[in-house]
Amino acid sequence: MQPLRIGIAGLRGQVATALTPPLAMDFSSALGTYLDGGTVVVARDTRISSGMLHNAAISALLSCGCDVVDAGICSSPELHFMVPHLKADAGLLIGAGHHPKGWNALIPITSDGAAFTKVELQELLDIYHARRFDTRPWNQIGTERPAPSKGWMAYLDHLCAQLDTRAIAAANLSVVADFCNGSGGAIGEKFAERIGVEMIAINSKPSGILPHDPEPRPRSAIQVHSVLKPLKADIGFVFNSDLSRTSVVSSSGETLSEEYTVALVADQMLSKGWKLVTNWCTTRTLDAVAERHGAEIHRTKVGEAYIVDRMLELGAELAGDGSGSVAFGGHLPGYDSLMVMGVLLEAMAKKGATSAELAARLPRHCIVKKKIRTSSSHAYTLLHALRGHFPDAEVNDADGLRFDWPEGWVHLRASTTEPIIRMIVEWETREQAEEKALQVRGLLERMVV
Amino acid sequence: MARVNLKVSVSGVRGTVGDALTPSLMAGFATAFGEYVGGGRVIVGRDTRPSGPMYERAVVAGLLSVGCQPVLLGVVPTPTVQMMVDEYKANGGIIITASHNPAEWNALKLIGASGIFLNHTEAAELLDIYNQSDHAYVPEDEYRNLRTVENAFDVQKKRIFAQVDREVIQGAKLKVAIDCCNGAGAPYSRAFLEELGCEVVALFEETDGIFRRPPEPVAENISKLCKTVVEQKCDIGFAQDPDADRIVVVGADGVPVGEQYSVVLATEHVLSKTPDPVVVNVQTTKALADVAAKYGCEAHFTPVGEINVTSKMLEVGAVIGGEGGSGGVIFPAVHPCRDSFTGMALILEMMAMRRQGLEQILEGIPRYLSAGCKVPCPPVRAVEVIRKLTAKYADAHPVTIDGLRLDWEDAWVLIRASNTEPIVRVFAEALKQERADELVAQFAAEIED
Repeated sequence: MQPLRIGIAGLRGQVATALTPPLAMDFSSALGTYLDGGTVVVARDTRISSGMLHNAAISALLSCGCDVVDAGICSSPELHFMVPHLKADAGLLIGAGHHPKGWNALIPITSDGAAFTKVELQELLDIYHARRFDTRPWNQIGTERPAPSKGWMAYLDHLCAQLDTRAIAAANLSVVADFCNGSGGAIGEKFAERIGVEMIAINSKPSGILPHDPEPRPRSAIQVHSVLKPLKADIGFVFNSDLSRTSVVSSSGETLSEEYTVALVADQMLSKGWKLVTNWCTTRTLDAVAERHGAEIHRTKVGEAYIVDRMLELGAELAGDGSGSVAFGGHLPGYDSLMVMGVLLEAMAKKGATSAELAARLPRHCIVKKKIRTSSSHAYTLLHALRGHFPDAEVNDADGLRFDWPEGWVHLRASTTEPIIRMIVEWETREQAEEKALQVRGLLERMVV
Repeated sequence: MARVNLKVSVSGVRGTVGDALTPSLMAGFATAFGEYVGGGRVIVGRDTRPSGPMYERAVVAGLLSVGCQPVLLGVVPTPTVQMMVDEYKANGGIIITASHNPAEWNALKLIGASGIFLNHTEAAELLDIYNQSDHAYVPEDEYRNLRTVENAFDVQKKRIFAQVDREVIQGAKLKVAIDCCNGAGAPYSRAFLEELGCEVVALFEETDGIFRRPPEPVAENISKLCKTVVEQKCDIGFAQDPDADRIVVVGADGVPVGEQYSVVLATEHVLSKTPDPVVVNVQTTKALADVAAKYGCEAHFTPVGEINVTSKMLEVGAVIGGEGGSGGVIFPAVHPCRDSFTGMALILEMMAMRRQGLEQILEGIPRYLSAGCKVPCPPVRAVEVIRKLTAKYADAHPVTIDGLRLDWEDAWVLIRASNTEPIVRVFAEALKQERADELVAQFAAEIED
């Protein structure tokens, strides 16, 4: 299969086999042509190939007459903040986030700091596919300058303004944080210092060498888990390499599934009448939390662009999904892991509760995530054939297929990055969830034969 | 057929910005070069053109993608890159410069492992790699870090100062005007000459890439320098081209000595100390051969092109050489490359050692006056014409390695077909102007017949 994916999250691919300098340049030239000049803030994470892509992208943007503000190594929430803060016309994030080693991505950001919407992206992709770029003559090409050296301070000011930092500082909390050797280490430590929290940072070198699976899953949390108890830290965080996804390790040593990150945050923040946006495959725990606080839930397709776009459209206070990503309506039009950290620390400080106590208040179900191998050409046919097998379930096909029963649900979706179907099953107990997963897998496998 | 301002050939890639010379094309060429030199270190420098930073990023992306380590020198003269390839034992070098062409042009000059230009065969091999659709992109783990070296010019300066008697030059306290053409020589020339004890008047020192005079250092473009030499009562004036490999001399009377005489002056000086072979291209004035004869040294001719001259110099163990027609001085004791700084140091050393002004030195060298014209002639007929003339003028020492050169006691003529237009160029020099004019008229008539 071609390890390249062009979609709502921009251009993603495996470096060398698919994501090559000319491809990155064509995509960036398309962005430059789409913008028709103006200023673009370019940020990169620490992945090894990000430097190559960063050079390729800037060169192409300059050739289309865009001025470039080079933010260098910079996390995604900082970029979401910096684009409108610097009154730039767009941003470009180069980084693999949660993608595996060897992959990378180019993600365009609009002037208000959000990911491109589907319509905007379509327009950009039309230019990309036509490959007619507006390259400028020698005296009209863009120029580049570095981002203001203290740019991160404005972001921290903005972040801290959302939080009761005094309360946090007064609680003398300590945290263990794993930055996955990504772009978040430096800003994360400065944030901790600013809010008076003692931070034990691990994997905080911006080396790009992945210490573990970059998706903040329970299995990625082993290192945080192993130091949390001996150091008697109050809470642990596992971040992906660009501070957009988070999972939490509580003071009791429990590694919470990344599914619970948004629910845990929502449980601290939601009030009556608030709106919360999530996707079609996020835990029912979130529904329960919303119900507990009298908040409304709205659902969209999977993907940051869809979720954030709906959040902005509805004026929702909170948005997030089961991958451990949370966006805050009043804060930034993009995911921000440091805000997740801040909100949880504030809740602990103000409620005088431990992280284990906060986690214990979440109504739990059991989620099982499986991958089913299939060639991508068959995936959609297979999924639709499955409908007939579950006449008793409530079916929703807004994004993949979701079957709902009173006791649980199954969500199936063809992956856009791998030749697999992603299955998520949530039931009251692990045994039930595993059993349901086995049943669905069996059905699908028999259909292939 | 639509004409594009792009030339991809064994001389590298050259074109106008905003037209076909896209960053993507430059990155593709750098990729092929990185592949050709087998990865490893590649030194990258550029001149001051506004498109330089843009193409530098493209070249860096291309080199990184095939596992090279780009070593960036920033704005430096072409010879600096050549010497740094040698100094850093790099596998190659790339200079982003369109040399003496106007600001809207740019190009890549390609340097092999020994710090000299790729020869015809090597360039053809590189072009072959470039023309293939599959590139040897390497996976992330084989990427190497980008390096930046500041003060690379110091390496060049040190090498030059090791070959000239600085104390003697300093003792002469010469007053020198230098026209840097707002090019890559501008950041270094003043300090270089001051370290040689000269009082310096510098023109066109701004490095914003806006050339404030036409960039080719020929008599009609350096009138400001000529005027300055007279007004400021300088002993000598020098003019560089945008990448500072060429040098042209102006006498104390404000009259340009002519680009032909840079190599003649350097040769006069070097042979007076070390009587060994000299190598120049066929476009070089007869005065060079006269100087070589005076010192009993052999003068070899080569086809036009720096690599042809340097290859021959290394082969015959030449002490000095260059290209008359373009103001190129090559002094292999420093490095086998054209270098304006070496040229200036040698000429200043001669003035200092002989305690003579430029006029007195020139008195001992035959002064040839030139004439030239273009004759319409298709390429196939040009070959015939040159063959016929070679036979007809067998007693005028015909040299046919690049067009036809004929030499008499008092004059010489060069007949060359253009590579780009269906014309033949006739160039003649003689001790008397009428004789040069006659020769040109005579040969133009013979070609037209």
